Amino acid sequence: MKILALLKRVPDTEAKILINQEGTGIKDEGIKYVINTYDEYAVEEGLRLKEKTGGTSTVTVVCAGPEEATELIRTALAMGADDAVHVCDKALERPDPFVIAAVLAKAIKAEGFDIIFCGKQAIDDDMGQIQSILAEMLDIPQVNVATAFELAADAKRATVRRRVEGGDEKVETSLPVIVSCEKGLNDPRYASLPGIMKAKKKEIRKKTLADLGFAQAPGDARSTILRWLPPQKSSGCTMVKAEETRDAVKELVRLLREEAKVV
Amino acid sequence: MTIQGIVFLVLFLAVLAVFGLIVRLLYRILRAAKPENRFDRWGDRIKAVLVYVCAQARVLAKPAGLGHFVIFWGFIFITIGTLDHMLGQVIPGFGLERIVGRRLGSAFILLQDVFGILVIGALAVAAVRRFVQKPERLKIDDPAAPRQAALILALIFVLILFMYGLKGTEILEGSARLTKTNAPVSFSVAEMMRGWHMNVPLANDVFSWGHNLVIFFFLLFIPFSKHIHILGAIPNVFFRNLGRPGSLSHMNFEDESAEKFGVSELGDFTWKQTMDLCACTECGRCQVACPAHATQKPLSPFRVIHRLRAQLMRDKGGLLAKGSDVLKPAPLIPETVSEDEIWACTTCGACMQECPTFIEHVQKIVDLRRFLVLTESRFPAEIQPVFKNMEVNYNPWAIGYSSRADWAAGLGVPLASEKRSFDVLFWVGCSGSFDQRAQKVSRSVVRLMQMAGIDFAILGTEEMCCGETARRMGNEYLAQTQIQANIETLKKYKFNRIVTACPHGLNTFLVEYPQFGLSVPVVHHSEFLLGLLSKDALKARRIETLRGAYHDSCYLGRYNGVIREPRALLSRAARHVAEFGRRGRSSFCCGAGGGRMWMEETLGSRINEDRARELLGLGVDHVFTACPFCLTMFEDALKTLGREDVHALDIAEVLLEACSQ
Amino acid sequence: MANDILVFGEVRGGGIKKITKELIGAARRISTVAGGAIDTALIGAGARAAAEGLTGYGLRTIVVAEDEALARYSTEGYAAVLSDIVKRGAYSYIFLGATAMGRDLGPRVTARADGVMFSDCVDVRMEGNRCVARRPVYSGRAYVEIVRSGERPNFISIRPNNVAPAEPSGGSTPIEAHASNVMRDAIRAVVTEIFPLEGGRPDLTEADVIVTGGRAMKDKANFKILEDLADLLGAAVGASRAAVDAGFAPVAIQVGQTGKIVNPKLYIACGVSGAIQHLAGMRTSKVIVAINKDPNAPIFERATYGIVGDLFEVVPLLTEELKKVL
Repeated sequence: MKILALLKRVPDTEAKILINQEGTGIKDEGIKYVINTYDEYAVEEGLRLKEKTGGTSTVTVVCAGPEEATELIRTALAMGADDAVHVCDKALERPDPFVIAAVLAKAIKAEGFDIIFCGKQAIDDDMGQIQSILAEMLDIPQVNVATAFELAADAKRATVRRRVEGGDEKVETSLPVIVSCEKGLNDPRYASLPGIMKAKKKEIRKKTLADLGFAQAPGDARSTILRWLPPQKSSGCTMVKAEETRDAVKELVRLLREEAKVV
Repeated sequence: MTIQGIVFLVLFLAVLAVFGLIVRLLYRILRAAKPENRFDRWGDRIKAVLVYVCAQARVLAKPAGLGHFVIFWGFIFITIGTLDHMLGQVIPGFGLERIVGRRLGSAFILLQDVFGILVIGALAVAAVRRFVQKPERLKIDDPAAPRQAALILALIFVLILFMYGLKGTEILEGSARLTKTNAPVSFSVAEMMRGWHMNVPLANDVFSWGHNLVIFFFLLFIPFSKHIHILGAIPNVFFRNLGRPGSLSHMNFEDESAEKFGVSELGDFTWKQTMDLCACTECGRCQVACPAHATQKPLSPFRVIHRLRAQLMRDKGGLLAKGSDVLKPAPLIPETVSEDEIWACTTCGACMQECPTFIEHVQKIVDLRRFLVLTESRFPAEIQPVFKNMEVNYNPWAIGYSSRADWAAGLGVPLASEKRSFDVLFWVGCSGSFDQRAQKVSRSVVRLMQMAGIDFAILGTEEMCCGETARRMGNEYLAQTQIQANIETLKKYKFNRIVTACPHGLNTFLVEYPQFGLSVPVVHHSEFLLGLLSKDALKARRIETLRGAYHDSCYLGRYNGVIREPRALLSRAARHVAEFGRRGRSSFCCGAGGGRMWMEETLGSRINEDRARELLGLGVDHVFTACPFCLTMFEDALKTLGREDVHALDIAEVLLEACSQ
Repeated sequence: MANDILVFGEVRGGGIKKITKELIGAARRISTVAGGAIDTALIGAGARAAAEGLTGYGLRTIVVAEDEALARYSTEGYAAVLSDIVKRGAYSYIFLGATAMGRDLGPRVTARADGVMFSDCVDVRMEGNRCVARRPVYSGRAYVEIVRSGERPNFISIRPNNVAPAEPSGGSTPIEAHASNVMRDAIRAVVTEIFPLEGGRPDLTEADVIVTGGRAMKDKANFKILEDLADLLGAAVGASRAAVDAGFAPVAIQVGQTGKIVNPKLYIACGVSGAIQHLAGMRTSKVIVAINKDPNAPIFERATYGIVGDLFEVVPLLTEELKKVL
């Protein structure tokens, strides 16, 4: 079984995100990059499926990203993935979901697959679109926000649980399929040291757009970011005070609804 | 030579040959084990033997050790007597006094004679302790152990009876060398036997042969019981760790084809670690001192050693049969040592402090952890985020590294990158940087340095976790990454010493960074601040209302001997009115060491609550600490025990208060 | 271009989901400036009945599709219908909820329509002749304002509770049935079962709202007041290590460094002091409410809103006040 796991390099969740002086993006300095959290679940689920199916099953990591993504791909290889495809091209510097999806689709088609795991969204642009666009481009079914995955005995179908508002849905799907992973699906493993050592020798197939058969970047950017803005709320705690506790609570409820918009 | 002499000689040589084979086997086991350099500082090693073997310094640290002292020396004198007697059977007319002279020979005889009685007394005490009192620390989960102990005690007793019988009959036969002055006990025995009207030469032969057979049995039995320590303890003391005990071994990761790291089977231990197994007397003192054991966790250091030795004895079979140099490879985890035991250890080192034969338990536990973490990637689930956080944000909590110096905002704390060259580098550490409680300690240290006009700086966001925790959790790879990165950073700046408020950082800088090529003077803030007080750079007015007890941090007191300084500092700042029963080098862990700070404590009761109860028993309303982990553990425990009226304060906070009055 | 807008509404239990009215509200903001009509599409069982509730909102048409094959949501079935509707209406803007359905369906239909999509927006408005969407990036640590380049159909998903729902504006909108030709057998991924959360609370690590009790809960039984609040908010209940240690709560619900690491939108900490071990597990929560007697408790340094007071007084009041408005 050929299993693919998609991987994106993103700033750590703890990184201080500051908008650059020109207002055209974020300051890169001081930012630590990590494997997108949800993609780790994808790699892990791929590995588990490989272990379960055994035999000739392989897990291939597919990544479109800058040169620096290599070390993160190595991390996934250290976890146990067999090899990787790394699409690395200057033309992908300011990516658009459609451009990335087109590039990935090409690479994936060349690679062949039975199942693709990916994160439900990347924690940088938080778009959550790639997997569905890819599914459309590859003409395969998609199951998003998976919290459980099980392959049928015949290895031609799978049962996936996905998170929706107010509960879970059980989805039966045929293979090939793309499954986007949610927290709770699994606990990604910590690479062992022999795993890290072995990963140094595993193959990462570097591809440029030309290698994939693109004469130029596939398609134009479909959107323009007009401006970058800092988060609305400054840090610091608003102490809600009133003579009567009830009034303080009333004010808190108002703030939660009108200012924070969380209830 | 008489027929008896010939029979004896044949038997003696045969037993000696078998014993020699056994010793050779043990030697081969050690030779086959991994290398370790313990061949330096011969003078200090000989001194160690004089102090800890001859004078039995550590054995005598507990009252029960007196019994061992007597049996030990009694055994030495009796053995000399035995050799004397045995050689006498082979070489007619041989006698000790012929070699050492009459006076010395006579003195030896007296010592044997007197020690015989003392040993019998000690045996009686030992028997009462072991079979009547049955203290917890002598119990062991091996049904053969009490039988073996009884057998050994009985044999020594019988041996001494034979010795007296032998000498008594010698006196009756008219020995010239035994006199009333040099063998008073034997003379009394002889007097007693005189009334029995026995065949004296026959009795002499019976006692002689009884004596011989007991000794033969001993030689063959010792290597298979805990009394192997008779063979192992002395070299173990000789080859003991002469450095500071807080250093873990350095692992080499250069071999990229390696499939295994850490210890998973006996053959992975070094020869010294293997020798440790043969040095355990099963006195159980380590267990009494062990915080994990005190709180009903499955770990008991000597039981781990016992089980390892038992496996060594079982698995050596392969060595004998195959004539190879390889021990039978059998996994140690989980049957011989369970994962719960391995993770229960706080690495506080109390076991090693107590051990009379200098067994190094902590390194073995960490070696087993290394196997689990590095090779198997198997560990309590809650430490995976700790490792990941350390990798990404260089601290155990998931807090962005870029906020590492936020605690210092507005305090005018200079950064090393701005100053380049300065007197003191204040190593803040992860707790001091991120834990809001420990940040107060960092700010206190900074205020005190500013008051004293110290030329200092911090690394700020360049500082990474010092690696101590990862190392003790068995993640040597991560630890080395951190250590090497820190060394690179430190090398960029010129400074005279590091000051840190964290004993874990202190220990690792002192004893572990040198393994990686950085030796830099480092002092704990207690030493540093006391120095400032002594030089009058700081002026403190004692706060008479602040009454508390000082708790010794394991990595400060036990591991690095900083015991006097915090107390001296406190005595000038507050009313240090009480002392814990367990203090100084014998202090009791707060429960946070060895990475336990980041692990759940689900087995048994809580170590920090045990310690906090001891504090409450002292009737003071403050505990003074000198370690951020201890501070957290005390605060947590006091809250859980509902004693929020008792507060934990770091010594720097106390001193700042005293200097601000 | 006509600047027509399609609102993809959501149906639940035969009624219309609140997000639908919020989307209509957002669409009105655009259409009042840019002109163009607003249509609404409703798909699935009960779509027609639900459509009746929207006829007074000044919409041009309400398109409903409720074939047998669409009774339950499926990406492929719904995508086929919605693509048809989008294509036929030649809309400039298509508004969806940033809900499980909208997030799943939106990008797929966008791809089919060769459009462009902005996910999880919190605001839309016209700026000149362009529809500007504001959306959080980096988990809310920054925002971008974004517009489409060119004239592709622009799909915009909007997070619930961010735009005021539209009020009825009179008139009567015709309901038009969309004849879909979706074949059930052609759908490759099918929902076969639904597990509602009824009674049971969401899992801590996945919950959007968490109510947590600390040592100040004093007793196991007192967690009842947190459960009442949690049930009202569809929240999970958590506990600090101190509360777990004291035996007030099982270790399974412990939040913190050694417990569950959580990342909800709203975290209500009741009687939690905020030791680093706890903060490490919840500090990335979007909004943190701290209720604590001790004004110096470190939790206030991390909180968004704080009330200094007795949790046994504040929490029941909070439940009561929230009941009035939810």
